[in-house]
Amino acid sequence: MAAIAGRPAGKASWQRGLRDARLWLLLITAVLMLVDGYLIFMVAPTDAVLGHVQRIFYVHVPISILSFLGFLICAVAGIGYLIRRTERWDRVAHASAEVGVVFVTLALVTGIIWARPVWNAWWQWEPRLTTTLILWFIYVAYLMIRQYAPTPQQGRTWSAVVGIIGFVDVPIVYYSVQWWQSIHPKQVIGPEAAEGALEPIMAQILVFSLVATLALFTYLLLERVALRGIEDRLSQLRREGNTD
Amino acid sequence: MELLRGALTVAWKDVRLELRSREVIASALVFGLIVVVVFNFGLNRAPGSLAPVAPGLLWVAYAFIGVLAMNRAFTRELEHGGLDGLLLAPISRDAVFLGKMLGSLAFMLVIEAILLPVFAVMLDLPTLSPTLGLVILLATVGFATVGTFFAGIAVQTRSREILLPVLFFPVVVPVIIAAVEASALALQGGPMTAVWTRWAPLLLVFDALYLVICPWIFGFVFEG
Amino acid sequence: MTELPPTNLPYLFAAFAVVWVVFFIYAAYMSWRRQSAQRELDEMRESNGQESGSGGNDGGG
Repeated sequence: MAAIAGRPAGKASWQRGLRDARLWLLLITAVLMLVDGYLIFMVAPTDAVLGHVQRIFYVHVPISILSFLGFLICAVAGIGYLIRRTERWDRVAHASAEVGVVFVTLALVTGIIWARPVWNAWWQWEPRLTTTLILWFIYVAYLMIRQYAPTPQQGRTWSAVVGIIGFVDVPIVYYSVQWWQSIHPKQVIGPEAAEGALEPIMAQILVFSLVATLALFTYLLLERVALRGIEDRLSQLRREGNTD
Repeated sequence: MELLRGALTVAWKDVRLELRSREVIASALVFGLIVVVVFNFGLNRAPGSLAPVAPGLLWVAYAFIGVLAMNRAFTRELEHGGLDGLLLAPISRDAVFLGKMLGSLAFMLVIEAILLPVFAVMLDLPTLSPTLGLVILLATVGFATVGTFFAGIAVQTRSREILLPVLFFPVVVPVIIAAVEASALALQGGPMTAVWTRWAPLLLVFDALYLVICPWIFGFVFEG
Repeated sequence: MTELPPTNLPYLFAAFAVVWVVFFIYAAYMSWRRQSAQRELDEMRESNGQESGSGGNDGGG
């Protein structure tokens, strides 16, 4: 970190390699997404019960799963940061939290849009929805705390701590909300019917969607880490320029 | 033992300060009453219609009061550099955490004990029982642990009044759910098997988990 | 395909539109910010390099 001017040439070429890798990943993601769109709208059979709207399933489920992956990475990188105290761990934790928030927001929005015609209500206080909303709150707080911390150093440590606590909390929230529901059963028309009747072709397309969305997730994560890296170097140069 | 002695010193300091000024308890009591009155305007449509939502109101009021009290417990330290003194004192961060947590726990239990009979009258709560007392104790331990931890972070920022609830409420949702459900059962006075098989264990697990995690990572909160 | 309730389709369209618009904006925003930061970084390095080459022009910036 200290020797920016005297950086070895090897690192620069490595960074250029990473940039090329990101471009290739973007290309692959675009192709996968196009194929995925074709599969979802042309190949996937129309659901017998829910109709066309069931096709939201193929984006909604992968996005939800990958938001959890984002928060898992955030918690692990947060632990890594607290142990190692290197900027790199924090960059990964920050990036995965932000990408995770984008994904979980989209999971909520697609879920709400899907729920309206199927459940006849935008929102149900049902375990999975409630837990996802709490998850959203926790990681929005994670991003807020980085903004509000007086020094970047404190922001890194505090957000790591919040990321870890948030990840521990979510399973507890899930079980508590589940128990709460089982005591007050409400008519949840739920997507169980759709999932029970999941045809093999639907499952295959879901797996393909998952792979395509994973590629997109990885691209966004790498792009976010790279952005943080450049911005960190920029602010460090600014600081050095001011002290000169 | 060293840990306990340090923690009790910190807690005792807060209690003595409160006995002298009475600002946290007095303001929290008034605030608790206001919360119930405002809810009454927001919710009451027919006479007696508050009874089904009474446990929820009770815990929303308690949670709001908790945020208020724990915020105050730390902002008070900011005046006259008390926080620096606390951190420079020859006791471990675990002891500071436990002390602040025990102090907040004591304040909250006192406030809750005074407000409960008042709420019982205003919200027409059917029965008060030892089970309800135990539920309140367990839930308040959870509130105080998580709240003290996040108050330690929030107090160091300029936007501490908003940051504490934003951090505190999502994490403490399991406690609120368990407390509301268990108190609803306890207030109905019917069979309480679900309290013992489900909600009290959930509260215990949550309390134990956060009593282990929070002191452990509290040291990170006050560095740098 | 035509016998299904047509009211479903706007919801399907809305969901996909939201997902793609958000992903596109997020990616575009990041790449725009990264490029502008990179440009500023390059400019800074260049001026810094000149300063150290010419020797002792204290940097204002």
